[in-house]
Order: sequence, then structure tokens, then C-alpha cells
Amino acid sequence: MPLPAAYSPNYFSLDDILATQERAPCKFAVNVPKMGVLNPSAEEVDLKAGTDLELPMWLVTEMAAGRQPIVNPDLPKIYREAYREILKADASAVDLHKFNLYFYELGSYAKSFDAKGEVQDVLLHTFKTRFRHIMDLADNSISDPTVQQKLDFLERRIFEDGHKAKGKLNDWLWVTSSTMEAANMVVNHKKRKRVDLDESGNFNK
Amino acid sequence: MENLNLSDDLDLENALQDENDEDEQLTPAEVIELMEEAWLNEKFAPEILPHKFDVVECLLGQITYMEDNIQNLESKDFRKTIHQLEVDRLRFLVCSYLRTRIEKIEAYCNHIMKQESERISKGEDQYLTESEFQFLKDFIQSLDSHFEKVTSFTVVTEDWKSQPVVPNVHSFVFLKSKQEVEGVIIDDGRNDENDLVDLDKGSQLIISYNSVANLIKKGDVHLI
Amino acid sequence: MFGEKACDLIKELSRAEDNLPAYNTDLVTEVGNEIKVLIEKNQEDAQISEDSRASDGLSYISTVKIRHAAVKRNFRCLLAYHYNRLKCIRTMRWEFGSILPADIKVNMSATESEWFTKYSRLMTQYMRSVGEEGVNLWVDLKPPKALYIEVRCLVDYGKFELNDGSVIFLKKHSRHYLPRSECEELIRQGVFYHIN
Repeated sequence: MPLPAAYSPNYFSLDDILATQERAPCKFAVNVPKMGVLNPSAEEVDLKAGTDLELPMWLVTEMAAGRQPIVNPDLPKIYREAYREILKADASAVDLHKFNLYFYELGSYAKSFDAKGEVQDVLLHTFKTRFRHIMDLADNSISDPTVQQKLDFLERRIFEDGHKAKGKLNDWLWVTSSTMEAANMVVNHKKRKRVDLDESGNFNK
Repeated sequence: MENLNLSDDLDLENALQDENDEDEQLTPAEVIELMEEAWLNEKFAPEILPHKFDVVECLLGQITYMEDNIQNLESKDFRKTIHQLEVDRLRFLVCSYLRTRIEKIEAYCNHIMKQESERISKGEDQYLTESEFQFLKDFIQSLDSHFEKVTSFTVVTEDWKSQPVVPNVHSFVFLKSKQEVEGVIIDDGRNDENDLVDLDKGSQLIISYNSVANLIKKGDVHLI
Repeated sequence: MFGEKACDLIKELSRAEDNLPAYNTDLVTEVGNEIKVLIEKNQEDAQISEDSRASDGLSYISTVKIRHAAVKRNFRCLLAYHYNRLKCIRTMRWEFGSILPADIKVNMSATESEWFTKYSRLMTQYMRSVGEEGVNLWVDLKPPKALYIEVRCLVDYGKFELNDGSVIFLKKHSRHYLPRSECEELIRQGVFYHIN
């Protein structure tokens, strides 16, 4: 049983690193010498105040922090009003994966750029509305892969956990004694070996 | 849960009396019950709990004693099989308990180190045994030196220690109350308008771990 | 853009899920170089702003701040890459035992192999310190249900000595009825299949 790590992202979290790689728009408030490299469309050495750029979230949050922010951050478009309206209308019909794979993770950073708190509300509303649907999905043994594809990364994880738990419950209900099994990694290792063999076999033909 | 009861094993009764002459007398069944409880608590609690090594040592003593007795039985003796299975079960119980703790120590090493250091400086009881604490120190050191080696081109940052992996104390747990407890504050993640709940003896409920962490540590309730 | 290579490291690891991908020495070196360059440039610019504060008043504070953020980001990716690999290596110690298959070992760096050995040693030290005789935590991973179990042998393993001294010969597809405790490790390593 894996240990439940806290939801708040830790330093080593691969998912948090990937989520903060997603971009957010921002406007430079000051001139930044030698940072023209951040703007691939211009070939100047310095970066001028007033330049609009889309930069990774990790950099935007760092630059927007402090008493003299270097940039004024803006919401990525999927959290702006037009998109919020779509989510408010019918969140469960939305292909969230298309919005952004890290819809909630990125949103939890983006929400600090929105003083009115509307992004936060819409994140919560979206999750609540879609959660029941995910539970239904996880409960059903027939899995339609196209439905899963519409889930964001967090939802997909919840779906997988739920699906596994359901499987375990079934096992427990039907089978009384537990079988000892080869370790996960050992099984995967064997599978990979088999694939390698098959591939080399084909190659020889 | 498997029933691990061994109450009518007389050999054990004697073993325990030898072990515990100076302490309060515990029957083998009571030791096993305590170990089971500690094991379940540790298994289901997200954070590491105060250690129960007095119980562990006691049970390990019992296991050794039982094994010696089994050795003396004829190999055809039917009782041998039964006793061996019982010993195997007890050993699993202890090992699983210790493994769970080691897993937590590894996963939350810096977080636990910080908490233990605070307990030491305040003169409070430590949650880890001496050898677990040694393991914790060695484990952190092994990470430190690994990181140093892979970033030998410059000075390694200590950033990773300021944002450590922490257990999710808001996760939900199932519990059973061993006695009446009044006014447990239900933590719903917000600070305002917290609801209270009273627990009857034997009542079971599902609740956020940090609402009941202290009750678990005190032994008023246990996790199931 | 800063930190792109570092993020590639993370993507590579994330894609592999539970498996350990080959240690990417080249990319690790490149990330290291990016960090070095950023630090050097920051030192230069910090010096320039110090010297020219009176004259043109050009401020490098923002420049330095951005580069510093990039250094931190690169470090985070680099350490997360190595930390998560160690986590995987640790699990392998539990699942494969003390000897890893050769094709997995080649994916580890020399430093990682060292850590693997060190981790085994730490565990052994700890296990020896528990109780009077020590405990072995590498075994008894699942609750025992029966003393003897039926297993099928999946590979030609050869001779296998039981605790009571008797020796059996393990041939591929052969079936055996053996004490559970003696089978556990071989089942985990994929030598035996537990027939229920």
C-alpha cells in the first residue's frame, strides 16, 4: 500500500514540476537588461518594459513575487471569463484534458493572479460537478477509453485509484485466500524482456 | 483481520511470566492484542506514531520461545504444523509493523527529523526508537551525500529540506472508540465554525485524521 | 528558455512510471552546465551593478533575480530526478532482493549502485538492532494463510536446499508442495508461480 503523500506539492514532486512548466501570460513592468533571450520573437539584448510574453508558471510566480514585481501576471486563457462560463454552464460535458492536462494544478497557481477569487470558485465548482461522474466511471467495469481521455491529470488519478479499489473489493468478495505473487517490478521486467525478444525476432525476419 | 488469538497456549503463558516478572503481567493474548492495535494504527495513520517497542520486544521474545518449543516437537507431530503457522502469523505482524514505520521514516525523513528534533529540545518523549532514529539519520545522510555527488560542480542547495515531503494529515481514517470521548473537533479544512462530535464507547466513524491524531496517540480510539 | 533540459529529465522519468530508465548522463551534465553558466553570469552582473551604481544607474537586480529563479528551478529538477530514481532503486531492493538483474543494473549510475549497497547496509544494521536476535524485514511480506503451498516452477532453477537439509531439483513446469516460508522469495523473484 503506497503511503498517502500530502496533496500540497513537495520539492521532489514530478507532477508539480510538470504542471509548473505550463505557461502563463505576463507583462513586463520594468526593463530587464540582457534578458532578451526570453523573447524568441525579438532579437534584442534587453527586455523592454511593456513586453507581453507567455512564460512557464514557475518563472512567472517568481517574477511576480516580492515588493517590486518584475512582471504583472495574467490568467492563462482557460481560466478567463469565457472559459469560466463554459465550465459553469456544464462542467461535466467539458473535455478538461483539452483545456489543460494539469487543469487543477495549474489553476491552483493561477488563482493567485485573480483577486476576485472567481478562478478558485470555478475550480471547486468544476471538481464537485465532475467528481460524481468520475465515481460512476470508476465503478463500472466497462471502460470506454474515450471518456477517460476527457479527464485532467488529477481526475485520471482519482479514476485509476477508484478503479483499483473497486477491483480489490471484488477480489476480496469473490476470492477468500490471497495468492502470493511475483513483485510488480519483476513482472514488468519479464514483460519487457518478452517484448524485446519479440521485437528482435521480427527484426530477424 | 485474521484472528491471531493464542490465549489458550500454555507454553506461552510461561514464557511471558519469565519475560515480564518485573513489569506488569500481560498475558500472551494481551500482548498480541496490543501488537495488533499498534499495527493497525500504524498502517492506517498517515504520519508516524509514537513507537510501541515494549510490545514488539515482548512479542519477539514470545516468538523465539515458541520456536524453541516447536524445534523440540517430533516432526510428525500434528501440533508442530499448527504452532508453526501461528508463529509465522505473529512474525508477519511484527515485521509488517516495523516495515510500515521504516517506510514512513524514509518517505518523510526530513519532516520526521524536524519533529523529532523539536521533541528532543523540548524534552518530550520521542516517537522513534534509538535504532529507528539512527536509521533516520543514516538515511538522510545517504541522500545528502548522493545529492552532493551528483551536483559536485557547485554547492548543493538545501532547498529540498525547506519543502519536504510531508504526510497528508487530512486524509480520512476509520476508527473505533475504546471509550467515551466528548467534543472531538471536526476539522473541515477551514478555521471557522467547526462542528463537534461526541464518541460513544465502541462507536465507529470515518473522520479526518488530524481531528483524532491525539486520541489515537493517547489510546482512546484505534484505527480499523 | 531556461530549465528546458532539466524538464526533459523529469519528463523522461515521469513517462517511465515504475520502471527505471537508463541514467541520462548527457542531459544531467547539460543541466549542470546551465546552472554553472547562470551562476557565473549572475556573479559578473552583480559585480557590474556594484561598480556602476553611480554612473549609468542601469539596474541588474531583475536580471539577477530571474537567473536565480532559473538556477533554483534547474536544481529542483536535477534533485527530483535523482531522488525519484533512488526511490525506485529502493523499491527494487525490496522486490528483486540484493542481486539485481543485469539489464536493470546497467540503467544505474555508479553513484546509484553505491547508494543501493549503502541502503542495503543501513537496513541490515537496523534489522540487526531490533530485539535480541534481530529481525528480517525483507521476508514475510504477505500475511500467511497456510503452511504449505503448491507452486509451479517457471524456470530451470536447478538444485534448491530446504531448511531441513533436503535438496530438491527445480525444473521448468515442475510442481512442488513446499513450506510457504521457503517459497516466498522465489515467488517474488518470479521463479515460482503460486497455484491457488
